[in-house]
Amino acid sequence: MKSFIKIIKLDYLQRTRSYSFLITLCVSLAIAYTFVPEPNATYSTIRIDDYVGYYNSAWFGYVTAIITSITLSLIGFFLINSGIKTDISTRVGQVVAATSISNFKYLFSKVLSNFLVLITIIGIVFIMSIILFFLYNDGFVFEPLQFIKPYIFITIPSMFFIAVLAVVFEIVFGKYSVVQNCIFFFLFLGLMQFTPKNNFQYSLDIFGTKIVMNELENTVKKIININSTENLSIGYVLKNVKKAKKFHFNGISFPTIYLLSRFIWILIGVGIIAIIAPFFHRFNVKEKITKPTKNKVSIVKEFSKEIELINIPKASLNYSRFPLLKTELLLLIRKDKKWMWIINLIGMLLLTLLPLTIAHQMVLPILWFLQVNRLSDITTKEITNNTHYFSFSSFKPLSRLLVTQLYSSILLLLFLASPLIIRLVINTNFLLSFSVFLGGIFIVLLASVLGMISKGKKLFEVMFFMITYANINGIVFVDYFGGFEHNQFYPVQLSIITLILGSACFFIRNYQLKG
Amino acid sequence: MKLEIQNVSKKYNRNKYGLKDFSITIEKGILGLLGPNGAGKSTLLKMIATVSKPTEGIIILNKNNILKDANYMRKQLGFLPQDFGVYPNLNAVEFLEYMAAMKGIGGPNLKPRINQILEGLNLLDAAHKPIGSYSGGMKQRVGIAQALLNNPKIVIFDEPTVGLDPEERVRFRNLISDLANDCIVILSSHIVSDIDTIADKVAIMKNGTLITHGNQETIIKKIQGNVFKTSIDKTQLADFKNRHIIVSTSRKNEKLNVRYISSQPLENSIKKETNLEDAYLYLTKIN
Repeated sequence: MKSFIKIIKLDYLQRTRSYSFLITLCVSLAIAYTFVPEPNATYSTIRIDDYVGYYNSAWFGYVTAIITSITLSLIGFFLINSGIKTDISTRVGQVVAATSISNFKYLFSKVLSNFLVLITIIGIVFIMSIILFFLYNDGFVFEPLQFIKPYIFITIPSMFFIAVLAVVFEIVFGKYSVVQNCIFFFLFLGLMQFTPKNNFQYSLDIFGTKIVMNELENTVKKIININSTENLSIGYVLKNVKKAKKFHFNGISFPTIYLLSRFIWILIGVGIIAIIAPFFHRFNVKEKITKPTKNKVSIVKEFSKEIELINIPKASLNYSRFPLLKTELLLLIRKDKKWMWIINLIGMLLLTLLPLTIAHQMVLPILWFLQVNRLSDITTKEITNNTHYFSFSSFKPLSRLLVTQLYSSILLLLFLASPLIIRLVINTNFLLSFSVFLGGIFIVLLASVLGMISKGKKLFEVMFFMITYANINGIVFVDYFGGFEHNQFYPVQLSIITLILGSACFFIRNYQLKG
Repeated sequence: MKLEIQNVSKKYNRNKYGLKDFSITIEKGILGLLGPNGAGKSTLLKMIATVSKPTEGIIILNKNNILKDANYMRKQLGFLPQDFGVYPNLNAVEFLEYMAAMKGIGGPNLKPRINQILEGLNLLDAAHKPIGSYSGGMKQRVGIAQALLNNPKIVIFDEPTVGLDPEERVRFRNLISDLANDCIVILSSHIVSDIDTIADKVAIMKNGTLITHGNQETIIKKIQGNVFKTSIDKTQLADFKNRHIIVSTSRKNEKLNVRYISSQPLENSIKKETNLEDAYLYLTKIN
């Protein structure tokens, strides 16, 4: 038992002692700050019709717990779903495989360390919710239980289940991370659609939030004296200028079956791990994925003639960026599995055939998001592949190599968007086609800057996911490709942001080059 | 060709130095850089390769300060880092073409040059297979190949023989000797036998400082006449270690044959011919 705890502890430390985790915590802190809007803010997070609760302990506790449960279920999955993959890439897995640890113990340790990572983020949000209570205090008494209760019964069991799902998905889908992410995304959307009506059905809600949301709705229904409340909004609604009316929310008393169900969800999670453990590859990955007889290169024992340097033709100087561009494009194209290109082609076909608005607002952001794996390491692949000594000591690494890396990624995105751009140009909608062009540059620069800052892929992956999710849900604020209606300054604003990102990209790389 | 490293230091924090006030002048030929792990060899080489910058001091190549004009060095540099990776989805030819483009070389001779280098490094048969499927030694040879692409005038090899089998090591040594006719070769290792057969000059480092620098004979002379061989009981070993510097031991029945360095040898000891390994062990122990 002692050694098992040690494994979890060390795995947790390994994951949290990174620069990117520090950034994740800072971002969590910043996002948590917005969970309960400042009294005069023009946005809302949870609003029932025109009502929000008085800023008492229960409102802060329950609202932040619900939003955390939903958002961290989605984003948290992407943050933690590479624990086993990391063990493969660092080759620690091979060492683990040679030890006596059982599959179940190893996988369960991964679940628990995933869970601890999520708990750390929850801890940050929890502290922020208390700080916000004292910041926006409406004169209500601080009741610690109203903060603790919703987190314990709603958020924590949800996070445990997400920690289990992350491990299960890693085993089932292996290195197909795009499939993994997409399936989880649709599973999440499906679970969010579930609308329980009674206590038993509440217990089937994995995220555990529906019981509180219905209680909030019912409270407001009683106030405004109607039977249906259609305007319960959960999530960020911007430019919500209409002043909200206030109602008293004093928390809820959870039914026993609900409390029991939260515990049962944890047990189900452990059970799933026990069921899947025998199917774990135990790091025998290469043999499973490739056919060694076909792909393995044999070492030729017969030696060919030695190099006579003096007789080798000398290559001439050629500072053209074209050969670099060619290989950068090759690296991008080969990055994902070949079948991803079939999906890309389907996406391009949809951009050609679907009504322009749908193609622009829905298909384009999804098609671009599918390239997340290619984009996320534009400027970090040197570090991840350990080729940075070659790149950083190359000739003019800033003006040649970095520029080419950016060009190639922009070209890829524009190629994928080309059916839409052509259609927009044919419709003489030059401003929109320019916005798509600008959007491509923006997302590539965002990927580069976030990659260089965090020295990893995760930050951009999560950010890109959030941006795409928000765009699909029609949140105009995060539209980076001109899909929605904007004021006349939109292209200028986007250009300025892109320019800032571009400058940051060169500045950071220059700083890195100086060692 | 002249590379001058003047009072170079790399300071990580208040008390920790990777390299401290290091000065050396390197001219055409092979410089063997020896030192135990953590001596600062890789730190120094990364600075010469313009991958890292010193916190103090200057590095001058042919009167050009490469800290101000890094591209002057990069144009004529071939660098094989100690711990490098490759892009697994590219094959060796594609990877080398990419490296060539990074170095700013091309033209019609590039392909034949790549092919001949690959042939010389025994990689031609696997040249069109993804590097991801290569063994460690093959990847190391791809690394060596990229260092030779641009007719380098300064070649830096940091622990180059890692993963190479004995035959490949011999071929590699021949290659380096060939290279050194025309340029500066800096070869770093903590394995003395990699260096003693080919290096014109040797620099020995420890704890970020230069202990000694010169040709092999001068360095060896420092302990000439102080290397001995004797036979002792296994039980005496601990005590023996405290009094002498042991170079190597070998087991023979219940006895141990010991090669050691001392100014006060045991009575039954036989004086042995001194070599670079003896000098290296002696100098790194006493400094």
